[in-house]
Amino acid sequence: MVEIRIHGRGGQGGVTLAKIIATSRFLLGQSVQAFGLYAAERSGAPIQAFCRYDDEPIANRNLIYSPDHIIVLDPTLVGSAITGGLKPGGWILINTTKEPQDLAEQFPDNPVATVDATAIARANKLGTRSVPIVNTALAGAAARLLGFELTEIHDALEHLGFVGPNIAAASQAHEALRLAGDAAADAGVALEEATAPGGAVPEGAEEAGIQEESAETAAPYTIVPRGPSFLEGAGGDLPGIETGQWATEQPHRQQYIPPCNHVCPAGNDVQGFLHALAHDDPDRALEILLESSPFPAVCGRVCPAPCMASCNRIDLDGAVNVRQLERYAGDNGNAALNPVEVHDERVAVVGSGPAGLTAAYHLARYGYRVTVYESTADLGGLLRSGIPRFRLPEDVLDHEIGRILALGVEAVTEHPIDRRGLMEMAGQHDAVLVATGLQELRGLRLGIGDTPAVDQGIDFLDLVRRGRVRVDGEDVVVVGGGNTAMDAARSSLRLGANSARVVYRRTREEMPAIAEEIDEALEEGVQLDYLVQPISLQPDGSAAEGTVAESEAASAHAAGPDGAGYRLTCRRMELGEPDKSSRRRPVEIPGSDFELQCSRVILALGQSPDLSVFPEGTEVREGEELLGLLETPVFAIGDLATNDGTVAGAIGSGRRSAIHIHGALSGERTEITEHAADRRDVDVWHDDVIRPDAMRLHLFERQSGQEGASLPMTTRQSTFDEIHMGLTDPSEAKRCLSCGVCNECDLCVTYCPEGVLKRVGHQLVFDYAYCKGCGICVTECPRNVIFMSHL
Amino acid sequence: MTTDTATRTPPSPGALGEVPSIPCTEECLLRPGNTNCGGCGMSVGLTMLGRALEEAGEVCTLAIPACCGAVTAGAFPTTSYGAPVVNTTFASAAAVASGLACVRDLNEERGQVICWAGDGGTYDIGIATLSAAAERDDNILYICYDNEIYGNTGGQRSSATPPGARTTTTPTGKKEDKKDIMSILVAHGIPYAATLSIAHPVDFRRKLETAFSITGTRFLLMHSPCPTGWKSEPADSVGLVRIAVSSGLFPLYEVWNGKTYRLNVLPDWTAPAEYFKRQRRFKDYEIDLETTTRVCRERFERLAVMAERFPHEG
Amino acid sequence: MPVEVVTGNHAAGHALSVAAEANREARGAACGIYPITPQTEIVEYVAKFPFTKCRVVPVESEHSAMGVSIGASLAGARAFTASSSNGLAYMVENIMVAGYYRLPIVMATVNRTLGPPWNIWADHGDTLMLRDFPWIQFYCESNQEVMDTTLLAFRIAEDHRILLPALVSLDAFILSHTQGETDLADQSQTDRYLPDLDLPHRMRHDDPKTLGGLMWPDVATSLRLEIDEAMSRVPTVLQEARAEFMEMFGRDPGDALQTLGTKDAETILVAIGSIATTAHEVVQARRDAGEKVGLIKLKMFRPFPEEALREACRTAGRVGVLDRNYAAGMGGVFWQDIRAAFQATRSDLLIQDYLTGLCGGDVTPAMIEEVLADLTTRERADRPVWMGIAA
Repeated sequence: MVEIRIHGRGGQGGVTLAKIIATSRFLLGQSVQAFGLYAAERSGAPIQAFCRYDDEPIANRNLIYSPDHIIVLDPTLVGSAITGGLKPGGWILINTTKEPQDLAEQFPDNPVATVDATAIARANKLGTRSVPIVNTALAGAAARLLGFELTEIHDALEHLGFVGPNIAAASQAHEALRLAGDAAADAGVALEEATAPGGAVPEGAEEAGIQEESAETAAPYTIVPRGPSFLEGAGGDLPGIETGQWATEQPHRQQYIPPCNHVCPAGNDVQGFLHALAHDDPDRALEILLESSPFPAVCGRVCPAPCMASCNRIDLDGAVNVRQLERYAGDNGNAALNPVEVHDERVAVVGSGPAGLTAAYHLARYGYRVTVYESTADLGGLLRSGIPRFRLPEDVLDHEIGRILALGVEAVTEHPIDRRGLMEMAGQHDAVLVATGLQELRGLRLGIGDTPAVDQGIDFLDLVRRGRVRVDGEDVVVVGGGNTAMDAARSSLRLGANSARVVYRRTREEMPAIAEEIDEALEEGVQLDYLVQPISLQPDGSAAEGTVAESEAASAHAAGPDGAGYRLTCRRMELGEPDKSSRRRPVEIPGSDFELQCSRVILALGQSPDLSVFPEGTEVREGEELLGLLETPVFAIGDLATNDGTVAGAIGSGRRSAIHIHGALSGERTEITEHAADRRDVDVWHDDVIRPDAMRLHLFERQSGQEGASLPMTTRQSTFDEIHMGLTDPSEAKRCLSCGVCNECDLCVTYCPEGVLKRVGHQLVFDYAYCKGCGICVTECPRNVIFMSHL
Repeated sequence: MTTDTATRTPPSPGALGEVPSIPCTEECLLRPGNTNCGGCGMSVGLTMLGRALEEAGEVCTLAIPACCGAVTAGAFPTTSYGAPVVNTTFASAAAVASGLACVRDLNEERGQVICWAGDGGTYDIGIATLSAAAERDDNILYICYDNEIYGNTGGQRSSATPPGARTTTTPTGKKEDKKDIMSILVAHGIPYAATLSIAHPVDFRRKLETAFSITGTRFLLMHSPCPTGWKSEPADSVGLVRIAVSSGLFPLYEVWNGKTYRLNVLPDWTAPAEYFKRQRRFKDYEIDLETTTRVCRERFERLAVMAERFPHEG
Repeated sequence: MPVEVVTGNHAAGHALSVAAEANREARGAACGIYPITPQTEIVEYVAKFPFTKCRVVPVESEHSAMGVSIGASLAGARAFTASSSNGLAYMVENIMVAGYYRLPIVMATVNRTLGPPWNIWADHGDTLMLRDFPWIQFYCESNQEVMDTTLLAFRIAEDHRILLPALVSLDAFILSHTQGETDLADQSQTDRYLPDLDLPHRMRHDDPKTLGGLMWPDVATSLRLEIDEAMSRVPTVLQEARAEFMEMFGRDPGDALQTLGTKDAETILVAIGSIATTAHEVVQARRDAGEKVGLIKLKMFRPFPEEALREACRTAGRVGVLDRNYAAGMGGVFWQDIRAAFQATRSDLLIQDYLTGLCGGDVTPAMIEEVLADLTTRERADRPVWMGIAA
């Protein structure tokens, strides 16, 4: 008689495996038994099944205590007391990815064979992903060990109605069986002889007495001690069944980079501050923002917000209004920043735009003594001169600059620096940062020469700010597609212009201006002409040459008798191939010229760096010292170095540069992170950004975003009051999906069937001793911060 | 904490709403080391019930008839339940609970007496006992975790099995519709009857709190995914019953005193193709999605009419 | 309380009620009740009783009547119910549970023929169906015995050495509906006789154990063995309870085995329930006439008083068992166990079964005379004799 004991887990099909083996013998006329040890097994619980076959009728109704062979359905059972009573020399067939040699030490008295039946079952789609049914595969593998023909197992499977993938699984496992040692193949043959009815007794087997004793091994008689009584008080202890051993997979924590954090030029931890706001904590939100940027209230008004363009919520119901939320944190949060003084080194910053002030801010927070030199009378650079008040009120700017100065940053205004001045400054400081931005304004040849009828947008906006320009009744044409163009046009209307028209040589899609600002300009009455390129400007007919007089009171721009003093000849364009900025290049359409009547042309075509302060031929790159001046390191930062042109970009440059200089001055190792996400204590940190398809968007409720209120149109059209009134509460932040970052929603904790997934402080903790590996925490995590790994 | 059910108008479907942070203590109703299958919906329900009890400062005694919950405890004297439990005969859960409850009340003691029963012990063999307890308005909380199958015995048909589902006793798919147990209980005029979905934990919690606060017979019907019987992935458990709610297969609603109604979640009526696809018990049997959706819609409309005509105030 | 003329049902109802009321200072009492002829009057009596701390739950079936009582008992209350015949058959599953849960529930059982056919009269087949469950079984021959045995049953069942349920049987109509003088225990006597119930394994929130879950063979066997040990202690506890009863009430509630003339009897009849009264008259008359005839009344059938039985039959050569029941394919149930009691010790003893008064037939003195005539003349024991019906 041959006796086989099968160790598996509920749901893997152990009893059926016994039946398959038995059936294959039955079909050959032998006497067989196949049975399980039944109790209250659940899917995953350890189970035992048994199989006997013999030429003689079987007269044994006991469990198998001394099996000839053992089959192990689940690798996690290896190590438990599975080999109890196994006869020396009897085979152990294990479903595992391991090689038999790797297990040989564990079972010194018995040969080991392995096969990855789980992979074979999965490949044949037998069972579920977490509980693959491995019995038919193992039947195929066992056939080789037991000396059966594979066809005998096939016959048994067919007899039992297990066809298709089951037959395939048996064949594949039969082929894939791995035997220990060099003589593996021989051993296989030897075993066949050992176990085949009437076969020769192989070497070694005689000693073990496989055949001789197998029929004689009697089931034992044991006397067990008395069990507990429920009449006594004791009881109610935990069962102590470590159900974690049932698991074939285990959950782990992971974190991805949220797209908003990834794209933020300032390096803000967007997800982090939104999380704080979602919990109605503007102070904490501001604190998080101030880690990277001293200008949350400014950015919350003027940032193009690439975070919103990349927001994964777009696929659901529109981006989270990060810009307005940043403004909310900046306007409503309170954060105490105490000045520190730990370093003696002095750092000079030339230019008080966003890059310079950000660098000064961070350096001051490191403890350096920082002096900012500004050529004009006011700090802020383009933030002050180039952005109209209706978008960025000056008190907002003053407040944020004040916070920087409060750190001990000294400011010297009306202090322009030339090449010589820079050398002097280098002598007086331990480091110099040049953050003069883009001072060179791009012009446009309009064939009219230098005329007061043509303004630069930046200059125009500064005049507007200082109340030194009048455009009432004028027809203003603005050339360009950026924010300056929009601002100039909108300012013109506010000042009473008859019309304001923006001409742009590409389409709206390519316009660099913030989309919202374009919309607002249109709302206010600005006309937009796309695919139009101004060619030339001529005085209107016989009209007298325009006279321009800039007085102390105002700049009056004399127009022709009809009010429109000039004709702007324009040409229509179409989009061609993409250029190096990957925008489609505008191509002229021959013969499409037309004329526009106007009284003033404002050029807003962008700016470029003015490098005249540096020695000629200096190559300016952010973060690189400009050597050869003096011993003092000099750095160019901000738009001057990056040519980026956005406030957020300038802030990012200022921050990176400050970190870099701190490293250079202190000798400390510093790391510049592109995204300031709070690294949680996770098992796997992904350096890539989480995309919408990796989110479980179906788990979120659709909820449209909040814009906040705006001023009524009449007020907007006649005053420079800030048109956006901001959000009245931070609830918009609750729309943040917290992509790829655990936000402690604790749905996983809620849904964990076993209650073994807990939150301890800010951390998720899995109790692997009991986790059955069902994977609900993974499928129910809306933000994909848990994953399963095979054991 | 906001709830997805606070208003009379049902909110949009499928949503999580805001989930409260949930305390996790060592002593829980369903303890680690229980022998339930991985991904068992009953386990989720017990864990949520335990937390709701703890949150409400309640204790409980469980009366459990023959069902998977009866073997959850494991081998005596150890137990996976953190509360006193008596296993009752299959038909007797409500009767035994009535006995426990009346002595609790005689002695003016606290604690919920809860029947934790499967669909077999509720819809089928235990229905007379349950009906009698409901008619007497005995002070018990009866929770039926409905996995639509005799799971403990290996997956036979019950009167809660939905049409089209293959079980070991309906090898070619069940032909008959699922028994409307809620209507039966509602007809008893019991003070509170409600349906529960583990995929709507806030609603789940609120209904338990409501049930705890009411005296008399309270009946809660919980749709309980069974990966073993449904032949589905354990990880899909919560997702499947969420689809059941959003598609209208398992409407979430409450009825007070058999008279006033409230709907909790408005289905979006997307055809539940995924629901059937992801359970192999429906494999090989063509489920007519159109008919299914129409039947669900009609049933929901009847409920909506009741909720409109006899709304629950307060 | 004065002696009153009441039915057996009244006596049982009264005894159950005063016993329940006696636990009012403790966790009270509760029962599930359900009507079935001829038991109904018992639960009607209980339903009317002015309890201080007892809940009477009118349920939808006998199965639930025992279910409610199980729940009440598990909650630590004194629990009881009453039933009969097919009602007991319907209740069987929960009767079994009460025993294996070691709940000291007392049930008054009115012995009635199991149907079909529709038959409402006395037959012991219904409670004998329960003989293999862990229940103590008492059979009474008078309303007074019903009254007294019910209190005795509570006392024994609730003893911590025992903790087993008990049933107190009375014959349908012959006792249940027959008025007779009965000394009904008053409340204060009962209060003194029955101590407060303290169930050691009642459901407690501070001891969250699970009763009735899976147990492996060894542990489950251990519990069966505990039941056997508890059963074996019943005779001792019975004697104590009986002695105290006599002291408290001034009368004997009756021993497990009651005898007439067995000291020297050569021929002994064994009777159960109300037949014992008739048999007593016949045997007494015979003894008065100088015949060495004796009578054994078997009051307690479970645990089976084997030892006392052997002692009582020491001098006998012939034993006739009057079985008001029929176990198909075998014969009288009492006869089976009595035969077994003498197996190996008394091969000389002739033990013959007489099926008497089945399905409510009247067992007359004349029938018992016929039994004695047969018993004293037959040469050897044979298959059970069906009395009063043509072969």
